[in-house]
Amino acid sequence: MTAEPGHWTDGDLPANARVGAGTLITGPDAFKRFRTTRDPGLVIGSHCTMDLTHFSFQPAGQVVIGDFCVFASTVLMCEDSITIGNHVAIGWNSYVLDADFHPMEPVQRLADVFSISGPGVAAGLPRPVVPTAPVVIEDDVWIGPGCMVFKGVRVGAGSFVEPGSVLTADVAPRSRVSGNPAKIVGRV
Amino acid sequence: MALPRRLPWDWYDGLVPESAVLDDEAHVESSYQFRLDRSRPPFGVRVERGASIHGLTAFDLGPHGVLTFGAFSLTNGTQFVCDEEITIGTGCMLGWNAVIMDTFRVPLDPVARRAALERVSTASPRRLLGEVETAPVRIGSNVYIGFDVMVLPGVTIGDGAIVGSRSVVRDDVEPHTVVAGNPARRVKRLRLDEDATVATPDGPRRYAEVLAGCMRGRP
Repeated sequence: MTAEPGHWTDGDLPANARVGAGTLITGPDAFKRFRTTRDPGLVIGSHCTMDLTHFSFQPAGQVVIGDFCVFASTVLMCEDSITIGNHVAIGWNSYVLDADFHPMEPVQRLADVFSISGPGVAAGLPRPVVPTAPVVIEDDVWIGPGCMVFKGVRVGAGSFVEPGSVLTADVAPRSRVSGNPAKIVGRV
Repeated sequence: MALPRRLPWDWYDGLVPESAVLDDEAHVESSYQFRLDRSRPPFGVRVERGASIHGLTAFDLGPHGVLTFGAFSLTNGTQFVCDEEITIGTGCMLGWNAVIMDTFRVPLDPVARRAALERVSTASPRRLLGEVETAPVRIGSNVYIGFDVMVLPGVTIGDGAIVGSRSVVRDDVEPHTVVAGNPARRVKRLRLDEDATVATPDGPRRYAEVLAGCMRGRP
């Protein structure tokens, strides 16, 4: 088992990312949208494989990931907090989000559009507050390809989330879930 | 006859693996489509006559995977995860970013899954090795699969069926029906005239003959 400190194949790790021994991060876009100013903004345990995964974090975002996790082409979008346990696997093209990122309310949403418009055009306009809710994925969870885990969801330990599931509510430990919205289809 | 290992038109500097058998009347865009293929002869990908495989299609085969991509079938960007057997019939169309899998590559039991994930950290390349239950996927002929569809292990899709975009197919699909949704459910039965004749590159053929595979060999 490799004992060298973890590394990113395509560059130097950001100063506010702590990565454990033997953890491998691949992909040139892994930290393209890593805007968190928290320190640490990202903590990854040991012996994880983060293949072509995107760490897209806003300034207040913080993500903590345990040991022996395997993510492939996963997108983690974080405004506030995403916590992931040990031995968690997430399949290709899955998303984990802890916010809606833009307001639901129409007037606020339009204000948000103006505040994030092109460089120099809307300089200084404040962004409206967007509701966030922490996401927790407990130990030993498998999330198949093409899944979405939305804000405020807690996925209980050992659960098996079938491909294409859309999680909008908590999942009890050791559940097997599938569908949009995801429903319990069995136990593991 | 088979296509050469180095495809003359390939944009990627690679070779088609020894395990793949590509009919010389097939169009396979790039050896890049085989970058995840770990199959060894006699296993591997078979691409039949007249088939077209475009774009970022990925053949992710384990050592004992067997995948048959049938005559005159088309895809652009489907991901095939195959540790046992995936069969695509004649004249199918598979949409962009569809995923067709005969295995989840991880054990269902969380404790057994832990060990599988720990093995990844020392594997080269660092990927899940499979070594779990598989269930063959069979897709008939003249099946139309939309964008972003997932077909899960053990599923059989009957001839002439249509699977709507973003569907997740967990159960078998009857021939000549339309299914959609997550989970996919039947939304329609298609009417057809089995005795109708279809214009083909080999001349007129009865629809039922085409489904039975008359286009697989040269006339």
